[in-house]
Amino acid sequence: MTVTSTLFFDLWDEFMLWSIFVGVFTFGWLYHHSVTYRSKEGEELPNVDEIEVGVFPKENDDLRLEVAWTILPFILIVYLTYISWAPVDAVWTSAEGGNHGFECEAGYYSNNVMDSENGFVTSDCYHIVEVTGKQWAWTFECNPDIEVTDRTYELSTDICDTGTYQVEGYGMQPSISLKAGETYLLVMESEDVTHAPWFIELGVKEDVLKNQKTTMWLPITSTGEGLILCTEYCGDAHSVMAGVLIAHD
Amino acid sequence: MNNKNISRSLAVFTILALAMIIAPAATSFPTGVSGVKDSGCNCHGAIPSDTVTPMVEGLPEIYNYSETYTVTVSFTGGPTDSGNINQGGFNLWISYGTIAVLDSTVQSFADNEVGHTEAGNDQTSWTVEWTAPANDKNIKFTLTTNSVNGDAGSGSGSSGDEWNRVSGSVSAPVEVIESANPFTVLATLIIVSLVLLVITLTYIFYRTSPDAFDWEQFGPWIAGWVTSTDHKKVGTLYLVSGLFFLGIGGIMALMIRIQLAVPGNDFLTQDQYNQFFTMHGTTMIFLAAMPLINALANWIVPLQIGAPDLALPRLNAMSFWLQPISAILLFTGIFSGGAADTGWTGYAPYVVSETAHSGTTMWVAGQIMLVASSTLTGINFLTTILVMRAKGMGLMQMPLFTWSIFISNLMLFISIPAFGVGLIEVYLDRVIGTAFYTIDAGGDPLLWSHLFWYFGHPEVYVVIVPAFGVISEVIATSARRSIFGYRSMVYAMAGIGLVSFIVYGHHMFTSGMDPSFRFVMMMTTMLVAVPTGIKIFNWLKTMHGGSLVYRTHTLWALGFLLTFTLGGISGMFFPSIAMDLHLHETYFVIAHFHYVFVGGTVFGIFTALYYWFPKMSGKMLDERLGTLHFLTAFVSYNALFWPMHRLGVVGMARRHHTYFISGEDVLGALPAEYADWNLFISINAFLFFLSTFILVANIIISLIRGQDAPADPWGGWSFEWMTDSPPPTPSFPLDNLPVLRDANEHIANEPSKLGAWFNRLMVADEEVNN
Repeated sequence: MTVTSTLFFDLWDEFMLWSIFVGVFTFGWLYHHSVTYRSKEGEELPNVDEIEVGVFPKENDDLRLEVAWTILPFILIVYLTYISWAPVDAVWTSAEGGNHGFECEAGYYSNNVMDSENGFVTSDCYHIVEVTGKQWAWTFECNPDIEVTDRTYELSTDICDTGTYQVEGYGMQPSISLKAGETYLLVMESEDVTHAPWFIELGVKEDVLKNQKTTMWLPITSTGEGLILCTEYCGDAHSVMAGVLIAHD
Repeated sequence: MNNKNISRSLAVFTILALAMIIAPAATSFPTGVSGVKDSGCNCHGAIPSDTVTPMVEGLPEIYNYSETYTVTVSFTGGPTDSGNINQGGFNLWISYGTIAVLDSTVQSFADNEVGHTEAGNDQTSWTVEWTAPANDKNIKFTLTTNSVNGDAGSGSGSSGDEWNRVSGSVSAPVEVIESANPFTVLATLIIVSLVLLVITLTYIFYRTSPDAFDWEQFGPWIAGWVTSTDHKKVGTLYLVSGLFFLGIGGIMALMIRIQLAVPGNDFLTQDQYNQFFTMHGTTMIFLAAMPLINALANWIVPLQIGAPDLALPRLNAMSFWLQPISAILLFTGIFSGGAADTGWTGYAPYVVSETAHSGTTMWVAGQIMLVASSTLTGINFLTTILVMRAKGMGLMQMPLFTWSIFISNLMLFISIPAFGVGLIEVYLDRVIGTAFYTIDAGGDPLLWSHLFWYFGHPEVYVVIVPAFGVISEVIATSARRSIFGYRSMVYAMAGIGLVSFIVYGHHMFTSGMDPSFRFVMMMTTMLVAVPTGIKIFNWLKTMHGGSLVYRTHTLWALGFLLTFTLGGISGMFFPSIAMDLHLHETYFVIAHFHYVFVGGTVFGIFTALYYWFPKMSGKMLDERLGTLHFLTAFVSYNALFWPMHRLGVVGMARRHHTYFISGEDVLGALPAEYADWNLFISINAFLFFLSTFILVANIIISLIRGQDAPADPWGGWSFEWMTDSPPPTPSFPLDNLPVLRDANEHIANEPSKLGAWFNRLMVADEEVNN
């Protein structure tokens, strides 16, 4: 599994396009002027604006141009904000009837589908899973306490299962197996300092705080295995506080 | 103030000082009191009758891999009680390999440590088996007699039952060269750099005045620097200390890059790595970037506005001298092996937790002093710029560099108190057990994030806006033109200053902060692009129709335009929250802010050095060395930071002391080819570091035998080019201050209505009455 977040790459491509446009425009201009308007060898230093020590120089401005390059970048950023809007709504959608509906009742599946027009996932319902961070290990819990979920039944191991996994360099790490096509809401809390699980392949992370529950959507759309790293600095073994996400059929 | 008040103040101060000294001792953090294990063996109260001589037999001088040796430990002397009861005991520790227990007289404490049992207490000789390691190690061993808990912390930590000990070593089949502790390396490099700095300064002093080189002259010369309140001398002090700490921060960066050069490296331990990136960040921001900017501001602002000195020269000297002292506090941990390991952001609750190093307390204390220093600097420059401008220089006739210093100090002055408050809270939490950030007691970790970033984001602009000022001066002068759109330049800088206070939440998009607040921050952050864009386009337009003279500073300024624009563009990816959730805390962030900090601030500072050095020293810098410096630094800099963008996207997290590579069957963080990119980055880090020595060499050579500089070598218009190079002290004669004329007669000396009102506020009463 490599980074597969459609949400991320749709935005990335759009931003790259405009970056390249702005870059080509600016650097083309820079190159042209620094070549065209260079002083010639051996020439006495010209003084275009009659600059003199102790005299505030002649004004050199053009209101139309200055307004132009205030308005045009502004229009561009309004556009970039506009295209960022729907993805924000998707990553932080409501748990009460948002893109992923309500928590699944016994026997129901999420059956998530990619809304190809918008690039984000919608589901019939979702499953709540608990993530706990502590120095320096993750704990995944498929069937958390009643204070986290109202669910009255246990998730089948097909939908959610936990275990351990041997990871190169990190040793034995906790893993969580989730089912492709299902959508999960992680309810997260820390036992000590702040942590943040980064599901690299899914392109999401969120801080995990003590005495405060945070949540993160995890719509699983493809299969594979991916690493989970801690991305909020938490002390000595921060860099090996890892986990594994296994997405299966 | 009368004597009574003075003595009262002194008394209060003494009590406060005493309280601060006592408080940390009362409840300082328990990072382990001593190495004493559970109580020693008290089973043998007898006192040895004779000198005890411990012996270890059976250990080879040079071991063979994995071979097992039978080792006999024994002693002579000891109690004369012949009843064969409580004859004594032992503890044997061998640094590598494993020790096997053969009978019930011996017990194992660890793979490499054994001692006697109750049953073994009645004899003076024991036998164990030691298996040598399978690789090359320098092995040490220690045998203590009687004391079962062994080396119970030598001296006072001992449980008092040790009779005697013997230590020795076993060599490996192939001689092992011990690798040095990275802290020892760093501490040594810091000391060596300091010594080199002193030697260099002394040499320059000698070469510039060989006749005056004796102790009688040297003392007053040093005293002159230490006690000076002259803005030029203080500026030079800032410059030297800033460059020194740029080197120290660079050394730390190199050690980080050595660690990251190959996957799974163990050059630094996790613990050491955490301290290195923390100190690298703190050093570069607070001890390198800020002092270098203050160096330029100190030197140039009074000259540019035609003032004889700063408004508050003694306060200025104090601002400077707080810095080296706070540097000592910040670095205390490095010399004691336990520096702050919190990241420069020092996030709560980790920063107040017991797992954070004890050096963190001193690190916080040092930063509180830096807050004081920056506040004083802010007051000083705001006052100077508002009230000491030459006649004829309205606010809208100030040189753009002065404007940039004005705006950055305004930002600093408004934002840094929040940081100071946060630091004091952390300090109190750490030393007297208050609960600002202790979550169980109701403390709030997000409070720290808010206080820190309310300061931290403007701080980023505090170090970049002066670079804008420098580039404005240099591009205009080099193109032989007036700057294009002077007014929009000023408004753009002011706009950046204003916006900087309402965007800080973009550092907290993943923090658990209220989503609607995060959303507002997304929109404000996007806005930053507008004033920044105006500035870039104005610089480009300034070159239009001009006649660009290529000097070293011109090259650096053009290089700045390229790298800073790239840094600005990559910055646009973060406010789009759905992307930030992936990019946050990765190498994409590292790449972005190094493009802005190094490609922006540091390149701006280099530009300024090449531009104003002739004014400061009266000597010209060598253009060929300068061009060489630019080319090597520019290429290696881009090769160093550009690949980091990609590393972040594919999965390299920042603040991770190592990374692993995915293979066919193994799961790691990065695809295989990215190990090569990391090595490439590390090599270029060394090249970039080394290229800076070209600048240092250029400065030294120029000071010794550079050409004399004329008053206005580049053809600038502002007042600093009117004075001699170097300028006299006071910089302008008090009875003959310069007066600014204006080539635009129609607006000369006619402030707008707002400007007139502002001026009325700022001009002293006596002056109004006159």
